Amino acid sequence: MSHPIVALQDVQLTLTSRAGPVEILRNVSLRVEPGQSLAVVGPSGSGKTSLLMIVAGLERATSGGVEVAGHDLTRLGEDELALMRGAEIGIVFQSFHLVPTMTALENVALPLEFAGAANAFAIARELLHEVGLKPRVDHFPAQLSGGEQQRVAIARALSRSPKLILADEPTGNLDGKTGRQVIDLLFGMQRRRQATLVLVTHDAQLAAACERTIRMADGRIERAAELVG
Amino acid sequence: MSATDAITSAPSDRDWRLPVVLAIALRELRSGFAGFRIFIACVALGVTVITGVGAVSDALRAGFERQGEAILGGDMTVSRMHVRAEAAERAVLEKLGRVSETATLRTMARRVDGSDQALAELKGVDAPYPLAGKVALAGGGSLQEALQRGAVVDPVLLQRLNLKAGEPIMIGTEPVPVAAALKSEPDALSDRLTYGPRIFISQATLDKSGLVKPGTLIRWRYALKPAGAGQASEDELKALRARVTAELPEAGFTITDRRDPSPQVTRTLERLRQFLTLIGLTALLVGGVGVANAVATFIDKRRKVIATMKSVGATSRTVLGIFLTQVLIVAVIGIVIGLVLGTGLPLVLGALYGDLLPIHAEMTVSPSSLLAAAVYGLAVSLLFTLWPLGRVQRVSASVLFRDEVAPERAWPGAWIIGATLLTAAVLVGFAVLSSDSKRIALYFCGGLVVIFAVFLGLGSAVTALARRAPRPRYPELALAIGNLGAPGGLTRSVVLSLGTGLSLLVAVALANASLVSELKERLPTRSPDYFVLDVTKEDLPAITGLVQRDIPAAALEAAPMLRGRIVRFNDTPIEEINAPPEAQWVLNGDRGLSYAETVPKGSRVVAGAWWPAGYAGEPLVSFETDLAGKLGLKLGDTVTVNVLGRNVTARIANLREVKWESLAINFVMVFSPNTLKDAPSNLLVTISLPDDTPPATEAQTIRALGRDYPSVTAIRVRDILDAFASVFAKVMIAVRAAGSVTLLAGALVLAGALATAQRRRILEAIILKTLGATRRRILVSHALEYLLLAGATALFAVLLGSAAAWLAVTQVMNIGFTFSLSAVATAIALAVALVLTFGGAGTWAVLRAPAVPYLRSE
Repeated sequence: MSHPIVALQDVQLTLTSRAGPVEILRNVSLRVEPGQSLAVVGPSGSGKTSLLMIVAGLERATSGGVEVAGHDLTRLGEDELALMRGAEIGIVFQSFHLVPTMTALENVALPLEFAGAANAFAIARELLHEVGLKPRVDHFPAQLSGGEQQRVAIARALSRSPKLILADEPTGNLDGKTGRQVIDLLFGMQRRRQATLVLVTHDAQLAAACERTIRMADGRIERAAELVG
Repeated sequence: MSATDAITSAPSDRDWRLPVVLAIALRELRSGFAGFRIFIACVALGVTVITGVGAVSDALRAGFERQGEAILGGDMTVSRMHVRAEAAERAVLEKLGRVSETATLRTMARRVDGSDQALAELKGVDAPYPLAGKVALAGGGSLQEALQRGAVVDPVLLQRLNLKAGEPIMIGTEPVPVAAALKSEPDALSDRLTYGPRIFISQATLDKSGLVKPGTLIRWRYALKPAGAGQASEDELKALRARVTAELPEAGFTITDRRDPSPQVTRTLERLRQFLTLIGLTALLVGGVGVANAVATFIDKRRKVIATMKSVGATSRTVLGIFLTQVLIVAVIGIVIGLVLGTGLPLVLGALYGDLLPIHAEMTVSPSSLLAAAVYGLAVSLLFTLWPLGRVQRVSASVLFRDEVAPERAWPGAWIIGATLLTAAVLVGFAVLSSDSKRIALYFCGGLVVIFAVFLGLGSAVTALARRAPRPRYPELALAIGNLGAPGGLTRSVVLSLGTGLSLLVAVALANASLVSELKERLPTRSPDYFVLDVTKEDLPAITGLVQRDIPAAALEAAPMLRGRIVRFNDTPIEEINAPPEAQWVLNGDRGLSYAETVPKGSRVVAGAWWPAGYAGEPLVSFETDLAGKLGLKLGDTVTVNVLGRNVTARIANLREVKWESLAINFVMVFSPNTLKDAPSNLLVTISLPDDTPPATEAQTIRALGRDYPSVTAIRVRDILDAFASVFAKVMIAVRAAGSVTLLAGALVLAGALATAQRRRILEAIILKTLGATRRRILVSHALEYLLLAGATALFAVLLGSAAAWLAVTQVMNIGFTFSLSAVATAIALAVALVLTFGGAGTWAVLRAPAVPYLRSE
């Protein structure tokens, strides 16, 4: 059995609020194998996004073990986490989060520049061609449609060839047709690069396209609901 | 190596690769500078003042250097009190080039009928005068030709004595026809501070006037121009100086060359420049609050971009680097604007006030002035941006998933605090090191720190108080107090920026009021009414009789006075002594010297012992204790002075504490009588008149004095003090103008803070309107908020400004403190007016804003 790309062991996440402590994740354990695609589904407030944030190193588990791409995230500092994300993880957001002052090309090149890659713009250009945005490389986000912006975001997420792609409702802000195109693109690129994909979604059709689905409710993974596609 | 090591070890040293940070920062700035307008304006304003002050001072100095030859009337001058150059000395000078001799002295110019008289500055000149520049006469024509016919007189004096060209004027014992009215004189500045209008006469007329006697206070000045065409080069000037010093070692000449034709004026300019620079720095610091606000708002608006960068692998340090670079680019834009505007300031001032200046200001600015202004601009920008930039570190990439509210206030990381403190230290260090008077610069910086701390505290206190205050029943007041305590409200930044600016203005206004009242009211009542120069010992009893015949209660005090130059302390020539600026004047040029059997009035011996009556031993001197300390002199040291062209060495027998402010006769150095008794000298006499002396009697007595003793000069103390007060008033205009800029900076900060809060205020007003509030109600609540804010700020500004003025006046200037209600009222009125004007404009926009777009977008 290969080494898992994501291994969560008894992860607890408790946040403090004015009303008192709130348990967001309760004893979550999860293994994701390299190259797999996993859909995380569940109602709002069930802890899907928090799970994704723990895996991305954006949120620290209150207790439990978090290992991603061979790194024990519980032992990394803020900046080490940022560097780890840059190298190992690509994130695709529901709201795209492109930097509005940068062109499509510059947005895609940004992670490569942070990594000090000499050929950042050549790689970024290639990726944009791959996602079908050859004529749009010098456009600013405001000059692109929602679907185009999400393609740029996907290209940016893949620019450093991450082992793990995390996507949070990637079609949530897109119409049905555009959403399907974006999903086809995302899955296609994941397969070509043999990356792992963890995807949070409300969309049953999208979840069905993944090899595996887990359902969350009230901060727990419903074991019975885990399906292998 | 583990996977983690591989990730964390490699990129960290690449984090700060400047080109990437710079490239991304520049990309980020594509969104424009809209949020940075106040930032740029604040930096530009402060840098403009500092550059402007430097540029004006550079322009005047360059004018001095360029026109040094004309100001001196030659390439170099040597001068000495009392004693004309002897034939041998003259021969030495003439070997070096062309020489022109002038004699300047104070005298009473009178109408021939004795009906009126006035103090005048008399200048006797020889035929070659002036070697450089030109004396212009009101009706045209040549000076030398006019001097053949009589005197050339300042029109002010002609008017004062009601004389016309052709009529005679009494100079000493000689009636001299007025040949022409004077228009301008090239070398007026090198004749020191003048108390009266100028009269030019020829040397021959001076000889006939009976004014030149042994002991008369005459300055003999010799302008030199080396043979050959054009100006002497720097090296030639140095060689010339060396030769005069070598060939006339004991002559006691003061040597000045065209490179620095008036060291006194140069020094005064430099002190004024340093002081105004500190005021410019205050404007910059006040503007710094606006800079900090702009950066905080900017970072808050860019939270998602910061989070995005962090989500794609940028460390906090890299993101901080990117935003710091952006902020520095903005700061540099402000600095460059300030440098350009400041450099142009001499042009503007020249166009407006050029005629008032004694010299033509050159359009120039030194690299050091520009560098200093840029350093101040950059340091203040850093000081006020590092702290708000610390927010970058607290922005988590998780905001991209959840809409979190950023914590309102939190401490930045340790290294941000460290860097901020370091920047503050560099700023204070630079301000102190670039001032000659380190003590004053340090006081100034310390005062600013206190004022900033107090207003920071006051801002927090007002906010906290407003939050905790019980809700008033009057809804407008409740709204106003609610706004004062609101997070992201105006309170802190307005109190800090406006309060600091106002405190400075109050301090300057009160210091001004105290000095004016000292000069115009307190000093004249304590001091004698007249100083009478050049009274011979023989004439003193008769003069006393003359004065007391008309005014029996008049008191006369007399002391022998010569003028001489200090040349050595122990074995060290004064050129090698590095005196602190506040004691430098003792070493420059000549000093009044006296001798006395007993301790002079108004002083007391604090160390050593006074010499016994009839002392006949080694020459002794009593030195003023404060200056002795500053010059490093102690009992037993020797002081060598050049008096009447001879060096006299005396040992310090005691130190005296002197009450200078009484203006009684007193001297830095008082010698034992045996030291100077044989030197020909006159007496300096003071006349103190009873307060009830009728002005007519006073005028009649002084006229009689002038008529019967033509060679004595009576100087009215009140006139000198008025002259000081008028010079001082001109300086204060510059100080107040620079000070007003701090208030302008405060206004900019206020405008910025209002603009930042505007959206929130509009939304609040719209919600209130939907709940049934009338426009009047909103208007009143805003007005109450502004009045409370301005009132609290003004109150503390008056308290702090008064305390600062009191300290400066009583501890630094050593004079009495005068509280001026009008100065305080002006400050309060300014604060209220500023807040109401800017706030009113904001409220106007708030009340006009349509509700629908705001309600929809929320």
